[in-house]
Amino acid sequence: MKVARMPIHLRWELYPVTHDRGYKYGGSYFEELEWWTKPLQKSRIRSIIYLLKQYLFFWKYFQRNKGYWFGLYPWHTGFYLIVSFHILSFFGALAIVVAGLSIAADSVSMLGRTIYYLTLVVAVGSFILGSVGSIGLLVKRLADADLRAYASPMNYFNYLFFLAVFLSGLIAWYFFDPSLSGYREFWKSLITFRYMDVEPATYTHIMLFSLFLIYLPFTRSTHYITKILAFFWVRWDDAPNVKGSEIEERVKEALNQPVSWSAPHIQTGKKWSEVAKGLPEDTAGVER
Amino acid sequence: MKGKRTKISDISKNPDEQLLEIMSKDLMPLPYPCDRLDKELPVKPLTEEQKDRYECSLDGVSAIVLPKPKSKEEEDKLVQSFLSGLKKLLSKEDNWTFLQPLILSLEYCAKCLNCSEECQIYLASGQQEIYCPTYRSEVLRRIIKKYLHKGNKAFSKFTEGDIELNWTAIARLAELAYRCPGCRRCAQACARGVDNGLITRELRKLFSQEMGIAPKELHELGTVQQLKVGASTGISPKAFKNIVQFMEEEIEEKTGKRMKIPIDREGADILLMHNSGEFFSWPENPEAFAIIFEAAGLSWTLSSELAGYEATNYGVWYDDIQLARIALKQSEIARKLKVKKVVIGECGHATKAMIVIADRVLTGEANIPRESCLPLLADLVCNEKLKLDPKRNDFPVTLHDSCNIVRLMGIVEPQRRILREICPQFREMEPHGVDNYCCGGSGGFAIMSSMNFTDWRTAVAGRMKMKQILEAFQDVISPEIKKYVCATCSNCKGQLRDLFNYYDAWEKCGILYGGIAELIVNAMVDIKEPFIRWEWH
Repeated sequence: MKVARMPIHLRWELYPVTHDRGYKYGGSYFEELEWWTKPLQKSRIRSIIYLLKQYLFFWKYFQRNKGYWFGLYPWHTGFYLIVSFHILSFFGALAIVVAGLSIAADSVSMLGRTIYYLTLVVAVGSFILGSVGSIGLLVKRLADADLRAYASPMNYFNYLFFLAVFLSGLIAWYFFDPSLSGYREFWKSLITFRYMDVEPATYTHIMLFSLFLIYLPFTRSTHYITKILAFFWVRWDDAPNVKGSEIEERVKEALNQPVSWSAPHIQTGKKWSEVAKGLPEDTAGVER
Repeated sequence: MKGKRTKISDISKNPDEQLLEIMSKDLMPLPYPCDRLDKELPVKPLTEEQKDRYECSLDGVSAIVLPKPKSKEEEDKLVQSFLSGLKKLLSKEDNWTFLQPLILSLEYCAKCLNCSEECQIYLASGQQEIYCPTYRSEVLRRIIKKYLHKGNKAFSKFTEGDIELNWTAIARLAELAYRCPGCRRCAQACARGVDNGLITRELRKLFSQEMGIAPKELHELGTVQQLKVGASTGISPKAFKNIVQFMEEEIEEKTGKRMKIPIDREGADILLMHNSGEFFSWPENPEAFAIIFEAAGLSWTLSSELAGYEATNYGVWYDDIQLARIALKQSEIARKLKVKKVVIGECGHATKAMIVIADRVLTGEANIPRESCLPLLADLVCNEKLKLDPKRNDFPVTLHDSCNIVRLMGIVEPQRRILREICPQFREMEPHGVDNYCCGGSGGFAIMSSMNFTDWRTAVAGRMKMKQILEAFQDVISPEIKKYVCATCSNCKGQLRDLFNYYDAWEKCGILYGGIAELIVNAMVDIKEPFIRWEWH
């Protein structure tokens, strides 16, 4: 939100810009003679597909740093799956409470069996991939001297914490709750406001996962959202300034702000629009 | 990493020792015939007196000629000034211009070092840690976390790592801000959109706009000179008119064509603006434009008004306020002349500054149509509006892509269409286009020559480009075969000139550099003598 509310900035695009017609080789509309007389063609779909590829496959990492990718990819896939697993558990519990559905391997309802197996696959997949990814990233960061030089204690804490979250789920499933019914019981207890007995191991994982969700926004994990802003609002922001446009209005607003920079060549205290008129000695007599 | 490992916290330690000693043996090797190490120290050391007076403990190089403070009190004042500037850099009132991109780059780095493998300076230096794109940014992040964010300093050490802010750190950071040309290759590699080139630029801005620290060549002798005298090269309006007269005489001498170069022609379609360095160093380039435009029958003019004959805008590298001042001045001149559009000659940063970066600064009537010369030249060449014979350019030609034109503006094909049309032996460097390597002159480097900085930018910053050029011409490397590196940018040409001097490119390989306009005129059938003279080297 903080980033989204920041004022308009000057253009700082970087080519290739995926929505441009010449994106394959990085061409822009500036290649057209008198580009301002031609309609701008943009493909937002291409930009969305580009970002989806990054989010789902981490393509840039795979191309440039496979060693890092081998930890990153399973971790993130584990993350998507663990969130999906808990959402499936919630809806499973809701189906039981509201529709009286039986969610089990031997359920008479096909829907019940589908939810059961889907939850199982997603959960186990998340625990294994997440654990492998957390260990992979931790080992990579420790073993690679270049990466180690840039790691802070918090990086290692995070990897260990994430490992605890995924591993706790794996342990709870393997040793104590192979059907994962404990999670549905937990959600049922919340929905119905009735206490239900849940395995301590399952409960431990639920607590760790809850802490994980609370903790995540305080880490750099919000890059999930800010990455979209970095690409759409900066990297691919090639919208030209047109007279009377919203861009122009926002810039005029920004130009009304006072400047407090202190270097000798800047008239501290004056507005941007005044300071931009010229050097202090050249604008001393200029009216505001 | 093969080079010297330097911890981030080392930036503030041991002020009397250099963090790095640059040695030839550590640098990236070059292909034949520049493959032998001629000098043990590729960068000439500063004298003892210079070392006593100026800050150089980063790597023994002085880019900004930063005097050492004379007392502890002065040091403390400078530290406070730096912190004050840092707060402004992160405020929406003072830095609305780049706050959002800056925050997105500062706060979301994964420290995966994907960017380091893309940085030519890091690679060419032999992978010395201080030149790693993330190094500089990490120093800044740690300072922000520890000194600006309220909270426990021990916690900031836990989350980001430790650093001490003192004059040594600031002085080294100031110099380090001028070890990145801002080519943004690192940014291309980042999956999160983090831009170390931007962070470097913002650092330079902090030093300039708060502390008044910037290279003389960019500020006093750059933007200030442009606003006061008329051009960053110091050419006054009167001197400019004399230069144009000289150009007319040269054109007649070289081509037999008598022409009057239009100046201050009101209502012309095109106001053509060159980097004024062309008039000084490479007058054949603006002469070539005049010949082309006249041959094509275009309605055009130059401007002799103060700052009207200067396309540059060095503010784009280090100072938003100077950037805005110059862009507004240039727009004012174009409006006064009532031209339909401004066309910028072969200058990468000038094109980018006027068309892209300053775009949102030019509001209302100041927003006049502006374009690069390259699509126009491509139209003239490829649509047969000029009579050209490619056989007149039958020598090996390669294209150096100016970062500002390709990666920062997306103008990639027009110049290639021209070269494919008029240069039968055109070959690409690898990589090229938006993946190009910087010549090492971007970000103002090409015009910075104080102390021993020229050595650094030729031995280190431009090394990768030299490697590319040699590889592109490896099959015709003999000095007997004259070859041409086409660079559509004045500052790139300045850097290539210094690079070729440093590496004896003419003597060893017969390589000349020049713009694209010269190649076009060289191909014109109605000009008897070759326009390109190999003795220009």
